[in-house]
Amino acid sequence: MTGEIFASNVESAAGDKQMSLMVNAHSYLLTVGNRPGEVDPAHTLAFTLRETLGLTGTKVSCDKGACGGCTVLMDGKAVLSCMLLTIECGGKEITTIEGLMEPKTGALDPLQQSFIDHSAFQCGFCTPGMIMSAKALLAENPSPSEEEIKEALSGNFCRCISQYQVVEAVKAVSGKKR
Amino acid sequence: MKTFDHYDARSIDEALGLLGKHRGKARLNAGGTDLLGLLKDRVLPQYPELIVNIKTIPGLDYIEEDGERLRIGALARLCDLAGSRLLQERYGVICEAALAVAGPQIRNVATIGGNLCQDVRCWYYRYPAHLGGGMLCARKGRGPCFAVKGDNRYHAVIGAGKCFAVCPSDLAVALAALDGHMTLVSHRGERRVGVGDFFSPLRNVLEADEFVKEIDVPKASVPRLQRFLKFTLRKPIDFAVVSVAAVTEVKDGIYSDARIVIGGVAPGPFRAGKAEEELIGCEPGDAVAAQAAEAALEGARPLSKNAWKIEVARALIKRTVYR
Amino acid sequence: MGKPYRYIGKATPRRDGAEIVTGRSHFVDDLRFERLLHGKVLRSPHAHAIIRSIDSSRAESLGGVKAVLTWENIPDLRYGNPRVFRLLDPKVRYVGDAVAVIAAESEEIAREAAGLVEIDYEVLPAVFGDYEASAPGAPQLYDEFPGNVLPLGDPFLGPKSMVEIATGDVESGFSEADVIFEGKCGYDNLPNPMPMESPRVVALWGRAAEGPDAVTFWVSNQAPYLMKAVLGSILGGNVDVRVFGGPCGGSFGSKLMSWQPMCYAALLSKNTGRPVKVVYSKEEHLAAFTLRPSSRLDIKVGMKKDGTVTAIAGDWLIGTGSYSQTTQAQVAVGCGEAMLAVRCKNWNVKPRIVCTNRTASGIARGFGGQELKCALFPILSRGMAKLEIDPLDFMKKNFIRPGEGYLWRNAQWYDYRGIDFTKMMDKGAEVFGWEQKWKGWLKPTTVEGNRRIGVGVGVHGNADVGEDVSEAYVRLDGNGRVVVHSCLQEHGTGQRSNALKVVAEVFQTPLEWVSMTPADTMVNPFEFGPFGSRGTYIILGAIVRAAEDAKKKLFELAAPMLGCDASELDTADGFIWAKTAPEKRLRWQRVLFQRTVLGYGRFEPDYSLSNCLMSFVEVEVDTDTGKLTLLRVVNATDVGQIIDPQGLEGQLCGCLGTAGIDSAIFEETVLDPLSGRILNANMIDYKWRTSSELPAIENVVFETPMPTHRFHAIGVGEIATSPGPSAVLMAASNAVGVWLDGYPVTPAKILSALGKLGSAGKIKDGANGK
Ligand SMILES: Cc1cc2nc3c(=O)[nH]c(=O)nc-3n(C[C@@H](O)[C@@H](O)[C@H](O)COP(=O)(O)OP(=O)(O)OC[C@H]3O[C@@H](n4cnc5c(N)ncnc54)[C@H](O)[C@@H]3O)c2cc1C
Ligand code: SF4
Ligand code: FES
Ligand code: FES
Repeated sequence: MTGEIFASNVESAAGDKQMSLMVNAHSYLLTVGNRPGEVDPAHTLAFTLRETLGLTGTKVSCDKGACGGCTVLMDGKAVLSCMLLTIECGGKEITTIEGLMEPKTGALDPLQQSFIDHSAFQCGFCTPGMIMSAKALLAENPSPSEEEIKEALSGNFCRCISQYQVVEAVKAVSGKKR
Repeated sequence: MKTFDHYDARSIDEALGLLGKHRGKARLNAGGTDLLGLLKDRVLPQYPELIVNIKTIPGLDYIEEDGERLRIGALARLCDLAGSRLLQERYGVICEAALAVAGPQIRNVATIGGNLCQDVRCWYYRYPAHLGGGMLCARKGRGPCFAVKGDNRYHAVIGAGKCFAVCPSDLAVALAALDGHMTLVSHRGERRVGVGDFFSPLRNVLEADEFVKEIDVPKASVPRLQRFLKFTLRKPIDFAVVSVAAVTEVKDGIYSDARIVIGGVAPGPFRAGKAEEELIGCEPGDAVAAQAAEAALEGARPLSKNAWKIEVARALIKRTVYR
Repeated sequence: MGKPYRYIGKATPRRDGAEIVTGRSHFVDDLRFERLLHGKVLRSPHAHAIIRSIDSSRAESLGGVKAVLTWENIPDLRYGNPRVFRLLDPKVRYVGDAVAVIAAESEEIAREAAGLVEIDYEVLPAVFGDYEASAPGAPQLYDEFPGNVLPLGDPFLGPKSMVEIATGDVESGFSEADVIFEGKCGYDNLPNPMPMESPRVVALWGRAAEGPDAVTFWVSNQAPYLMKAVLGSILGGNVDVRVFGGPCGGSFGSKLMSWQPMCYAALLSKNTGRPVKVVYSKEEHLAAFTLRPSSRLDIKVGMKKDGTVTAIAGDWLIGTGSYSQTTQAQVAVGCGEAMLAVRCKNWNVKPRIVCTNRTASGIARGFGGQELKCALFPILSRGMAKLEIDPLDFMKKNFIRPGEGYLWRNAQWYDYRGIDFTKMMDKGAEVFGWEQKWKGWLKPTTVEGNRRIGVGVGVHGNADVGEDVSEAYVRLDGNGRVVVHSCLQEHGTGQRSNALKVVAEVFQTPLEWVSMTPADTMVNPFEFGPFGSRGTYIILGAIVRAAEDAKKKLFELAAPMLGCDASELDTADGFIWAKTAPEKRLRWQRVLFQRTVLGYGRFEPDYSLSNCLMSFVEVEVDTDTGKLTLLRVVNATDVGQIIDPQGLEGQLCGCLGTAGIDSAIFEETVLDPLSGRILNANMIDYKWRTSSELPAIENVVFETPMPTHRFHAIGVGEIATSPGPSAVLMAASNAVGVWLDGYPVTPAKILSALGKLGSAGKIKDGANGK
């Protein structure tokens, strides 16, 4: 695991440090630096996803690790992209909300469809984060209990209180295979 | 976040070298769940010029038992602690404490080393710079302690002075109850510090050029009752208002040993020796638990708004010790 | 029972659902602009100070900085009520008040530059408490407001507005009473509506196509048209304002207070010739945007044994913090809402609004009424307790009924034309089990060791269901599709999708055939915006009218082609036929060949109806730790006709968040008593409900047709948060057996009420500061 990280942060011939970032099964080669389009060491993963790669589905609300809005998957686990330095994410596999759809057909993940069927959102700002947390749960535990669902979503803020419908939406796809 | 240089350390030695070279202007980054918040809000009196990633140091995330001790590498993540069979079976308080930290996403990256070394959560100390400037207080080396005359509902009731911030770490409480120690390394060599002694009112004892390598706990000789309870206004996310870890042994129907540690009330995990004395030699029961609870925080001197924490601590002690 | 409708009342997916769940919903910060600059606000460290001098030269010379604006180099722009509050002022009035705004190539550079602005302040004494602010000798915030008292009344509400509740003769009222009691209660913990998405805006001044004095905004808001009006009035008559609404990550009313960030972005754009984005951080959102007003009631009440209230007299003190935009309007609406909920012939309640050196208060779901009632019901409870009146009976008896009336926000009397809500209240009580659980005042429902259960009830209604004006067009295209032109902005209620449903219902077309213009003020007619609960009656009402108008025009065109009278026609699925000869069907396309039909609809305000929501709550109090846990909520309401069951469910479950029920449990803004700084301006210390702690919620919904529009529906979303807080206070008091009268009911307050903290730990009310 550790070895890969080094392999992905390499100096280019020009002396520029480069890193590769794997997002939604796509590998991005990024230059470390502070010009536009580069990865500054102080950039968070959330910033890089949104501003450098244009993957704006990941939402930032608190930017301090407290709301779960920026949740993405890293090697399959739910993590907060606002609390990770991009430069430390080389060699990891990141999945964002944009990566849930079937890449070829564009078909929605059953979990996404279930959110629509249950109107499991109001303003929708928390929804990408909620879905990613739920996705991580279902990957680890395909048939979670209601308590387990609530626990898995407990780090995800929703001001509108969509959680009742979110829990139903997750329940509806649990126990089913994709 | 303001920029900094960044380095992926490959070994403890390399990290120590960088800490030494940058003399207090380099910071180690483990899970980053505490450090990044401090950097974003510009809380630290001195913004670091270098961030040293230590997640790239191989082999520091072990959780294992040898002949005498349980040993946990500083980079073990809280999700690993919570999920460890070994801990679940023999060191349950560690799992309970790890599970009580923040939410699932944070536990997936946060480390035990970072948890013990994290900075305090005093809301004066953490006041963000971009809302009119940070607040320079005693802990930052300059200024008064604002909590004394201010809103101190979450501050320390015992053992504090100069700074009334409480130890925010849940793991510290559990580990102190198990008589845990931390191994700190620097170019001067290694030293072992009891988890309880790691904390002091104005800062922890970690030097700017030191690295926490390992946390160890003596192996238990007899089965023990272990319990960790954390009181918050809501779960999860919240830091402990008060937490209690109790590890007791009952032999022949009486308490033969007891370690009771209270979190959230003092600058470090507070070992309630008086409560332990009440228990030892007695039969477990409601009455003795109540006596222990009563004695636990004897000598506490609450500030204007935090006396309620003493009541909460008493309630938690009763519940951890007996029930 | 079978619904007569094709879509209405049935669950249909939200039109924006697929975008939301795939992350393709473009909130303001997701929009991409070329050559975008980032705006940041430099904020005051002092609660009250005069800027003696300000030097931004160092900041300006930092690479990447494009503009630094201070009060010295911008026009004197003012807004608020009254219109005296300057955008940037030489005086700062709360910690976090804006001192300068900076545009730079990146957020980080702008932030860095903020640190380089040099300011010399003359620090003034500050005042944080509402009572203290009105005491003689208190520091004065504005020359215009001696004693820190703001004038009442809001010109926006009409020539007159409600500035007090004054009817009948209180003295004679008191003489009829069986008991007379006095009480004080405050709802003054300043919870924050805190939508997940913080305030944010992009402004572009002088778009080529629209001329040099045109400014365009992309703003997170629930009311683009209203913002157009507001910004137009601030920036001056010759500036043409265009506002694009887009998905809004929550507002709960609060984002109508966005004039400041919008003006910052606009001026920075004007100065730089580039689009400028201003995004408030969550900390700024919590500490430098808007809070709920504080409310303290000090009244005397006369009550009869049967629960008749004979007189209410006293003072209502409202704290608005550093300035007011809508506080007077909130007072006006709140006064009316009190009259809806408590039938009383003799009132004399005098509001007074004071300003203090803290972040401003303004709009939050529950607009004035929640603030007033959270203080009023706990006081009324004391009288009910004296007379041993069950609060449910009291609320049933006192809530507005046909044949009665009230004064509304424009100080006019309205005869109530709505329904009697008693039946739904009874049903709510039955579902909750009120009769079994209510044991009398200050009596717990059950006691098991240290765990005590208590119950409480609250009620709320609002005649804002019919407030203000909406307009809409409905356009029928040659291809047989229907386009709704409305500036209705989606902010979470699903109302845009509901609009499509009602229009599809009018035309009996497939739902997918109906679509809606983006909420762009350039292409849409006037729309006040989904405030209060007006969406269902007024906004949908205007849209339904526009649809009916379009349908009428369509039939008029079709009639000669079918050789009959327009009144005989019917339509569905894009066909038109005469009801007498349904076999001869004409396609819309034939009628609309090279033609567009445009229907227009307008709805004027109607204050003669009210909605109603009753919330029952069950709480558990741990008498050892003082912790209060909300176990169960039953909401009962009557919505006339459900438009979308899932959307309604969401709105009702929303009772917890957005400074609602949880403002009685853990939500509060903590002000440092010495510096006036907000200490918990972050999402760890500002408490919000997590999914691990969801109480059971049951929603009892009646559908008694209401005299609104053809679908007989009435909105209820806004008031979901309002009855709960006082119900929780009641439940907590019952659980512990002691009157509690401060929000939120923290463990410290409960332990103190139980006498467990001795004198050292006594907690005073008026949480903030004193
Ligand atoms: C929303 C939120 C809720 C939280 N709730 C809780 C809670 O309930 N309970 C709780 O205990 N904590 C809580 N935390 C704090 C959380 O950050 C820690 O629990 C976490 O374990 C820190 O680990 P980390 O690896 O991320 O630390 P980092 O942020 O990487 O490091 C923290 C500090 O320790 C130093 N450090 C890290 N590792 C070492 C080492 N090996 N040697 C020397 N110094 C080191 C770093 O330089 C830094 O100063 C919360 C945090 C957030 C954001
Ligand atoms: S408690 Fe400590 S950190 Fe907080 S203000 Fe006082 S000295 Fe500073
Ligand atoms: S934005 Fe990352 S946790 Fe809130
Ligand atoms: S749906 Fe609005 S924040 Fe969750």
